[in-house]
Amino acid sequence: SGAAWARGLLSWARPERWLACSSLFPLSCIHTSTSLQKIGKWEKKNRIVYPPQLPGEPRRPAEIYHCRREIKYSKDKMWYLAKLIKGMSIDQALAQLEFSDKKGAKVIKEVLLEAQEMAVRKHNVEFKSNLHIAESLTGRGRYVKRVRCHGKGMFGVMKISRCHYFVKLVEGPPPPPEPPRTGFDQAKEYVQQLRNRTLVHTL
Amino acid sequence: VLILVRSPLPRLRALLQGCWGRLERSLWPGVLGGQSPPWGPALAVQGPALVPQGINDAGESAAEAPSLLESILWMAAPKQRRTIEVNRCRRRHPSKLIEVKRNIDVCPECGNLKQKHVLCGYCYAKVKEETRLIRMEIYKKEGGPFNTPTVETLVLYEGEKPKEKDAGKRIIERARKRPSWFVQN
Repeated sequence: SGAAWARGLLSWARPERWLACSSLFPLSCIHTSTSLQKIGKWEKKNRIVYPPQLPGEPRRPAEIYHCRREIKYSKDKMWYLAKLIKGMSIDQALAQLEFSDKKGAKVIKEVLLEAQEMAVRKHNVEFKSNLHIAESLTGRGRYVKRVRCHGKGMFGVMKISRCHYFVKLVEGPPPPPEPPRTGFDQAKEYVQQLRNRTLVHTL
Repeated sequence: VLILVRSPLPRLRALLQGCWGRLERSLWPGVLGGQSPPWGPALAVQGPALVPQGINDAGESAAEAPSLLESILWMAAPKQRRTIEVNRCRRRHPSKLIEVKRNIDVCPECGNLKQKHVLCGYCYAKVKEETRLIRMEIYKKEGGPFNTPTVETLVLYEGEKPKEKDAGKRIIERARKRPSWFVQN
Protein backbone atom coordinates (compact mmCIF):
# COMPACT_ATOMS: atom_id res chain seq x y z
CA SER A 1 0.00 0.00 0.00
CA GLY A 2 2.99 2.25 0.62
CA ALA A 3 4.25 1.62 -2.89
CA ALA A 4 0.79 2.30 -4.28
CA TRP A 5 0.60 5.56 -2.32
CA ALA A 6 4.03 6.58 -3.58
CA ARG A 7 3.04 5.71 -7.14
CA GLY A 8 -0.17 7.65 -6.70
CA LEU A 9 1.79 10.67 -5.50
CA LEU A 10 4.23 10.28 -8.36
CA SER A 11 1.40 10.07 -10.87
CA TRP A 12 -0.04 13.29 -9.45
CA ALA A 13 3.29 15.10 -9.46
CA ARG A 14 4.43 13.71 -12.83
CA PRO A 15 7.84 15.34 -13.10
CA GLU A 16 8.39 13.84 -16.57
CA ARG A 17 5.80 16.31 -17.89
CA TRP A 18 8.02 19.23 -16.93
CA LEU A 19 11.10 17.77 -18.60
CA ALA A 20 9.35 16.81 -21.83
CA CYS A 21 10.09 20.10 -23.60
CA SER A 22 13.65 20.69 -22.44
CA SER A 23 16.86 19.12 -23.57
CA LEU A 24 19.75 17.98 -21.30
CA PHE A 25 20.68 21.50 -20.23
CA PRO A 26 18.29 22.90 -17.57
CA LEU A 27 18.65 26.54 -18.61
CA SER A 28 17.37 25.83 -22.07
CA CYS A 29 13.91 25.38 -20.54
CA ILE A 30 13.43 29.12 -20.90
CA HIS A 31 12.14 30.27 -24.32
CA THR A 32 12.85 27.20 -26.36
CA SER A 33 10.10 28.20 -28.81
CA THR A 34 11.24 30.23 -31.77
CA SER A 35 8.18 32.45 -32.11
CA LEU A 36 6.36 34.57 -29.58
CA GLN A 37 3.01 32.94 -30.44
CA LYS A 38 1.54 31.03 -27.58
CA ILE A 39 1.33 27.28 -28.07
CA GLY A 40 -2.19 26.24 -27.15
CA LYS A 41 -3.01 23.85 -24.34
CA TRP A 42 -4.38 21.25 -26.71
CA GLU A 43 -1.13 21.10 -28.66
CA LYS A 44 0.83 20.69 -25.43
CA LYS A 45 -1.20 17.61 -24.53
CA ASN A 46 0.70 15.65 -27.14
CA ARG A 47 3.96 16.28 -25.28
CA ILE A 48 3.22 14.32 -22.11
CA VAL A 49 5.40 11.24 -21.65
CA TYR A 50 4.27 8.51 -19.30
CA PRO A 51 6.72 6.37 -17.34
CA PRO A 52 7.30 2.90 -18.76
CA GLN A 53 4.53 0.48 -17.90
CA LEU A 54 5.13 -2.44 -15.58
CA PRO A 55 4.91 -5.93 -17.10
CA GLY A 56 1.59 -6.83 -15.49
CA GLU A 57 -0.31 -3.66 -16.39
CA PRO A 58 -2.79 -3.59 -19.27
CA ARG A 59 -1.54 -1.72 -22.32
CA ARG A 60 -2.32 1.99 -22.21
CA PRO A 61 -4.06 2.97 -25.49
CA ALA A 62 -2.35 5.69 -27.52
CA GLU A 63 -3.94 9.15 -27.40
CA ILE A 64 -3.45 11.67 -30.16
CA TYR A 65 -4.51 15.31 -29.74
CA HIS A 66 -4.91 17.47 -32.81
CA CYS A 67 -6.56 20.80 -33.53
CA ARG A 68 -6.95 23.49 -36.13
CA ARG A 69 -7.19 27.14 -35.17
CA GLU A 70 -9.05 30.09 -36.69
CA ILE A 71 -11.30 28.24 -39.10
CA LYS A 72 -13.59 30.64 -40.95
CA TYR A 73 -16.86 29.07 -39.75
CA SER A 74 -19.31 29.55 -36.92
CA LYS A 75 -18.64 27.61 -33.72
CA ASP A 76 -22.31 26.74 -33.29
CA LYS A 77 -22.56 25.30 -36.80
CA MET A 78 -19.29 23.43 -36.34
CA TRP A 79 -20.60 21.97 -33.09
CA TYR A 80 -23.26 19.95 -34.93
CA LEU A 81 -20.54 18.20 -36.96
CA ALA A 82 -18.42 17.64 -33.86
CA LYS A 83 -21.44 16.09 -32.13
CA LEU A 84 -22.07 13.86 -35.15
CA ILE A 85 -18.66 12.21 -35.11
CA LYS A 86 -18.20 11.97 -31.35
CA GLY A 87 -17.67 8.32 -30.39
CA MET A 88 -17.43 6.95 -33.95
CA SER A 89 -14.55 5.02 -35.42
CA ILE A 90 -12.35 7.11 -37.66
CA ASP A 91 -13.45 5.35 -40.87
CA GLN A 92 -17.11 5.88 -40.12
CA ALA A 93 -16.46 9.53 -39.24
CA LEU A 94 -14.61 10.13 -42.51
CA ALA A 95 -17.46 8.50 -44.45
CA GLN A 96 -20.09 10.68 -42.77
CA LEU A 97 -18.08 13.84 -43.30
CA GLU A 98 -17.40 13.09 -46.94
CA PHE A 99 -21.09 13.12 -47.80
CA SER A 100 -22.10 15.99 -45.55
CA ASP A 101 -23.00 19.20 -47.31
CA LYS A 102 -21.61 21.52 -44.66
CA LYS A 103 -18.53 23.71 -45.14
CA GLY A 104 -17.03 22.58 -41.84
CA ALA A 105 -17.19 18.94 -42.91
CA LYS A 106 -14.34 19.43 -45.38
CA VAL A 107 -12.18 21.09 -42.72
CA ILE A 108 -12.85 18.43 -40.10
CA LYS A 109 -12.07 15.70 -42.64
CA GLU A 110 -8.67 17.28 -43.31
CA VAL A 111 -7.99 17.53 -39.57
CA LEU A 112 -8.88 13.87 -39.04
CA LEU A 113 -6.65 12.73 -41.89
CA GLU A 114 -3.77 14.82 -40.53
CA ALA A 115 -4.30 13.35 -37.06
CA GLN A 116 -4.40 9.82 -38.46
CA GLU A 117 -1.13 10.44 -40.30
CA MET A 118 0.45 11.86 -37.14
CA ALA A 119 -0.74 8.85 -35.15
CA VAL A 120 0.88 6.36 -37.51
CA ARG A 121 4.15 8.25 -37.89
CA LYS A 122 4.85 9.66 -34.45
CA HIS A 123 2.61 8.02 -31.86
CA ASN A 124 3.35 4.35 -32.53
CA VAL A 125 -0.11 3.38 -33.71
CA GLU A 126 -0.03 0.12 -35.61
CA PHE A 127 -3.24 0.20 -37.66
CA LYS A 128 -4.58 3.50 -38.92
CA SER A 129 -8.15 2.16 -38.84
CA ASN A 130 -7.90 1.09 -35.20
CA LEU A 131 -8.61 4.61 -33.95
CA HIS A 132 -11.79 6.09 -32.59
CA ILE A 133 -12.77 9.64 -31.73
CA ALA A 134 -12.84 10.03 -27.96
CA GLU A 135 -13.44 13.78 -27.85
CA SER A 136 -14.31 16.33 -30.49
CA LEU A 137 -14.88 19.93 -29.47
CA THR A 138 -15.25 23.37 -30.95
CA GLY A 139 -14.05 26.63 -29.51
CA ARG A 140 -14.56 30.29 -30.25
CA GLY A 141 -11.88 31.92 -32.37
CA ARG A 142 -11.16 35.62 -32.70
CA TYR A 143 -14.16 37.64 -33.84
CA VAL A 144 -13.88 40.79 -35.95
CA LYS A 145 -16.57 43.47 -36.09
CA ARG A 146 -17.50 44.96 -39.42
CA VAL A 147 -20.11 47.42 -40.72
CA ARG A 148 -23.04 45.97 -42.63
CA CYS A 149 -24.83 48.56 -44.81
CA HIS A 150 -28.62 48.59 -44.94
CA GLY A 151 -30.88 50.83 -47.00
CA LYS A 152 -31.56 54.51 -46.29
CA GLY A 153 -28.17 55.12 -44.76
CA MET A 154 -28.70 52.74 -41.88
CA PHE A 155 -25.98 50.40 -40.83
CA GLY A 156 -25.53 47.59 -38.41
CA VAL A 157 -22.51 45.91 -36.91
CA MET A 158 -21.88 42.36 -38.01
CA LYS A 159 -19.31 40.05 -36.48
CA ILE A 160 -17.13 37.80 -38.64
CA SER A 161 -16.76 34.70 -36.53
CA ARG A 162 -14.07 32.07 -36.55
CA CYS A 163 -13.73 28.86 -34.59
CA HIS A 164 -11.21 26.29 -33.46
CA TYR A 165 -11.72 22.55 -33.77
CA PHE A 166 -10.15 20.03 -31.35
CA VAL A 167 -10.10 16.26 -31.69
CA LYS A 168 -8.68 13.45 -29.53
CA LEU A 169 -8.12 10.09 -31.20
CA VAL A 170 -7.63 7.01 -29.05
CA GLU A 171 -6.37 3.67 -30.29
CA GLY A 172 -8.80 0.78 -30.15
CA PRO A 173 -12.34 0.04 -31.29
CA PRO A 174 -15.01 2.60 -30.39
CA PRO A 175 -16.72 2.02 -27.04
CA PRO A 176 -20.24 0.50 -27.28
CA PRO A 177 -22.99 3.11 -27.02
CA GLU A 178 -24.75 3.42 -23.70
CA PRO A 179 -28.08 1.58 -23.57
CA PRO A 180 -30.96 4.03 -23.17
CA ARG A 181 -32.40 4.37 -19.68
CA THR A 182 -35.52 2.31 -19.30
CA GLY A 183 -38.36 2.87 -16.88
CA PHE A 184 -37.16 -0.17 -14.94
CA ASP A 185 -33.75 1.44 -14.34
CA GLN A 186 -35.39 4.65 -13.18
CA ALA A 187 -37.66 2.73 -10.82
CA LYS A 188 -34.70 0.81 -9.41
CA GLU A 189 -32.80 4.05 -8.77
CA TYR A 190 -35.83 5.56 -7.07
CA VAL A 191 -36.23 2.58 -4.76
CA GLN A 192 -32.50 2.69 -3.98
CA GLN A 193 -32.77 6.38 -3.09
CA LEU A 194 -35.64 5.61 -0.72
CA ARG A 195 -33.59 2.86 0.89
CA ASN A 196 -30.56 5.14 1.37
CA ARG A 197 -32.49 7.52 3.60
CA THR A 198 -31.35 7.62 7.22
CA LEU A 199 -32.46 9.41 10.37
CA VAL A 200 -30.65 12.66 11.03
CA HIS A 201 -30.27 14.74 14.18
CA THR A 202 -31.24 11.77 16.34
CA LEU A 203 -29.50 9.46 18.81
CA VAL B 1 -34.82 44.25 -37.10
CA LEU B 2 -32.54 47.19 -37.83
CA ILE B 3 -30.12 47.94 -35.05
CA LEU B 4 -29.38 51.66 -34.89
CA VAL B 5 -25.91 52.27 -33.52
CA ARG B 6 -24.75 55.60 -32.22
CA SER B 7 -21.42 55.93 -33.88
CA PRO B 8 -18.59 57.75 -32.15
CA LEU B 9 -18.02 60.07 -35.15
CA PRO B 10 -20.05 63.30 -34.80
CA ARG B 11 -20.41 63.75 -38.57
CA LEU B 12 -21.93 60.33 -39.01
CA ARG B 13 -24.29 60.98 -36.10
CA ALA B 14 -25.38 64.27 -37.69
CA LEU B 15 -25.94 62.48 -40.99
CA LEU B 16 -28.03 59.81 -39.25
CA GLN B 17 -30.04 62.42 -37.40
CA GLY B 18 -30.65 64.22 -40.68
CA CYS B 19 -31.77 60.99 -42.34
CA TRP B 20 -34.01 60.19 -39.38
CA GLY B 21 -35.58 63.65 -39.45
CA ARG B 22 -36.30 63.37 -43.15
CA LEU B 23 -37.82 59.93 -42.62
CA GLU B 24 -40.09 61.14 -39.82
CA ARG B 25 -41.19 64.19 -41.77
CA SER B 26 -41.94 62.14 -44.86
CA LEU B 27 -43.91 59.44 -43.08
CA TRP B 28 -45.80 61.62 -40.65
CA PRO B 29 -46.04 65.09 -42.17
CA GLY B 30 -46.78 67.95 -39.86
CA VAL B 31 -46.27 66.04 -36.60
CA LEU B 32 -43.04 67.71 -35.50
CA GLY B 33 -44.02 71.16 -36.68
CA GLY B 34 -47.02 71.11 -34.39
CA GLN B 35 -49.55 71.59 -37.21
CA SER B 36 -51.74 68.60 -37.83
CA PRO B 37 -52.22 67.70 -41.48
CA PRO B 38 -55.75 68.00 -42.86
CA TRP B 39 -57.48 64.87 -41.67
CA GLY B 40 -61.04 63.75 -41.65
CA PRO B 41 -63.10 60.62 -41.54
CA ALA B 42 -62.42 58.46 -44.58
CA LEU B 43 -65.96 57.05 -44.52
CA ALA B 44 -68.91 59.06 -43.22
CA VAL B 45 -71.65 56.78 -41.90
CA GLN B 46 -75.10 57.91 -40.66
CA GLY B 47 -75.51 56.90 -37.08
CA PRO B 48 -75.87 58.02 -33.50
CA ALA B 49 -73.04 60.20 -32.28
CA LEU B 50 -71.27 57.93 -29.81
CA VAL B 51 -68.85 60.61 -28.65
CA PRO B 52 -69.81 64.30 -28.76
CA GLN B 53 -67.71 66.13 -31.32
CA GLY B 54 -66.29 68.71 -28.89
CA ILE B 55 -64.73 66.18 -26.51
CA ASN B 56 -63.49 64.19 -29.47
CA ASP B 57 -61.63 67.21 -30.84
CA ALA B 58 -60.16 68.08 -27.47
CA GLY B 59 -58.99 64.51 -26.93
CA GLU B 60 -57.48 64.25 -30.36
CA SER B 61 -55.63 67.58 -30.31
CA ALA B 62 -53.99 66.73 -27.00
CA ALA B 63 -52.43 63.51 -28.25
CA GLU B 64 -51.16 63.89 -31.79
CA ALA B 65 -50.67 61.03 -34.26
CA PRO B 66 -48.36 58.48 -32.62
CA SER B 67 -44.76 58.67 -33.68
CA LEU B 68 -42.65 55.62 -34.33
CA LEU B 69 -41.29 55.65 -30.80
CA GLU B 70 -44.80 55.06 -29.39
CA SER B 71 -45.97 52.71 -32.12
CA ILE B 72 -43.11 50.35 -31.10
CA LEU B 73 -45.37 49.45 -28.16
CA TRP B 74 -47.69 47.42 -30.35
CA MET B 75 -44.87 45.48 -32.13
CA ALA B 76 -44.14 41.91 -31.10
CA ALA B 77 -41.03 41.74 -28.95
CA PRO B 78 -39.64 39.17 -26.54
CA LYS B 79 -40.58 39.84 -22.94
CA GLN B 80 -37.80 37.98 -21.19
CA ARG B 81 -34.29 37.02 -22.16
CA ARG B 82 -34.13 33.36 -23.13
CA THR B 83 -31.84 31.62 -20.68
CA ILE B 84 -28.94 29.54 -21.91
CA GLU B 85 -30.70 26.39 -20.64
CA VAL B 86 -33.74 27.10 -22.81
CA ASN B 87 -31.50 27.98 -25.74
CA ARG B 88 -29.56 24.75 -25.36
CA CYS B 89 -32.80 22.69 -25.27
CA ARG B 90 -33.79 24.24 -28.58
CA ARG B 91 -30.39 24.08 -30.28
CA ARG B 92 -29.60 20.51 -29.20
CA HIS B 93 -33.01 18.99 -29.87
CA PRO B 94 -32.65 15.73 -31.83
CA SER B 95 -34.54 17.18 -34.79
CA LYS B 96 -31.79 19.80 -35.16
CA LEU B 97 -28.85 17.40 -34.90
CA ILE B 98 -27.35 16.00 -38.09
CA GLU B 99 -28.58 12.48 -38.86
CA VAL B 100 -26.15 9.64 -39.36
CA LYS B 101 -26.28 8.56 -43.03
CA ARG B 102 -26.87 4.85 -43.56
CA ASN B 103 -26.65 4.82 -47.37
CA ILE B 104 -22.86 4.87 -47.81
CA ASP B 105 -21.25 1.93 -49.62
CA VAL B 106 -17.94 1.02 -51.20
CA CYS B 107 -17.60 1.35 -55.00
CA PRO B 108 -16.74 -2.10 -56.44
CA GLU B 109 -14.60 -0.56 -59.19
CA CYS B 110 -12.22 1.77 -57.38
CA GLY B 111 -12.83 1.07 -53.69
CA ASN B 112 -13.75 4.65 -52.77
CA LEU B 113 -16.87 5.47 -50.80
CA LYS B 114 -20.06 6.25 -52.64
CA GLN B 115 -23.68 6.91 -51.79
CA LYS B 116 -26.04 4.17 -52.92
CA HIS B 117 -28.16 6.30 -55.25
CA VAL B 118 -25.27 8.42 -56.62
CA LEU B 119 -22.45 7.60 -59.04
CA CYS B 120 -19.01 7.09 -57.53
CA GLY B 121 -17.24 10.47 -57.51
CA TYR B 122 -13.82 9.09 -58.36
CA CYS B 123 -15.02 6.97 -61.30
CA TYR B 124 -17.09 9.87 -62.59
CA ALA B 125 -14.07 12.20 -62.44
CA LYS B 126 -11.99 9.60 -64.33
CA VAL B 127 -14.57 9.33 -67.10
CA LYS B 128 -14.97 13.09 -67.23
CA GLU B 129 -11.22 13.61 -67.71
CA GLU B 130 -11.03 11.04 -70.53
CA THR B 131 -14.06 12.63 -72.21
CA ARG B 132 -12.37 16.01 -72.03
CA LEU B 133 -9.27 14.64 -73.79
CA ILE B 134 -11.41 13.00 -76.51
CA ARG B 135 -13.20 16.29 -77.02
CA MET B 136 -9.86 18.07 -77.39
CA GLU B 137 -8.89 15.60 -80.13
CA ILE B 138 -12.24 16.22 -81.85
CA TYR B 139 -11.65 19.96 -81.65
CA LYS B 140 -8.19 19.57 -83.20
CA LYS B 141 -9.63 17.48 -86.02
CA GLU B 142 -12.57 19.78 -86.75
CA GLY B 143 -10.64 23.02 -86.44
CA GLY B 144 -13.59 25.25 -85.60
CA PRO B 145 -17.28 25.46 -84.74
CA PHE B 146 -20.05 24.14 -87.02
CA ASN B 147 -17.74 21.52 -88.64
CA THR B 148 -19.39 18.46 -87.11
CA PRO B 149 -19.70 15.74 -89.78
CA THR B 150 -23.01 13.97 -90.27
CA VAL B 151 -21.54 10.51 -89.60
CA GLU B 152 -20.89 8.61 -86.39
CA THR B 153 -17.71 9.04 -84.40
CA LEU B 154 -15.51 6.14 -83.35
CA VAL B 155 -12.76 6.40 -80.71
CA LEU B 156 -9.76 4.10 -81.25
CA TYR B 157 -6.88 3.62 -78.85
CA GLU B 158 -3.34 2.36 -79.48
CA GLY B 159 -3.07 -0.71 -81.65
CA GLU B 160 -6.72 -0.82 -82.72
CA LYS B 161 -7.97 -0.96 -86.27
CA PRO B 162 -11.46 -0.07 -87.49
CA LYS B 163 -13.55 -3.10 -88.47
CA GLU B 164 -15.64 -3.55 -91.68
CA LYS B 165 -18.85 -2.47 -89.97
CA ASP B 166 -17.16 0.84 -88.94
CA ALA B 167 -16.78 1.80 -92.60
CA GLY B 168 -18.10 5.36 -92.93
CA LYS B 169 -17.43 6.56 -89.40
CA ARG B 170 -15.19 9.43 -88.37
CA ILE B 171 -12.25 8.06 -86.38
CA ILE B 172 -10.71 9.84 -83.39
CA GLU B 173 -7.32 8.51 -82.29
CA ARG B 174 -6.25 8.60 -78.67
CA ALA B 175 -2.58 7.95 -77.91
CA ARG B 176 -2.98 5.65 -74.95
CA LYS B 177 -4.02 2.14 -73.99
CA ARG B 178 -7.75 1.50 -73.95
CA PRO B 179 -9.10 2.06 -70.39
CA SER B 180 -10.72 -1.00 -68.86
CA TRP B 181 -14.04 0.70 -68.34
CA PHE B 182 -14.37 1.85 -71.99
CA VAL B 183 -15.62 -1.33 -73.61
CA GLN B 184 -15.06 -1.78 -77.34
CA ASN B 185 -18.08 -2.81 -79.39
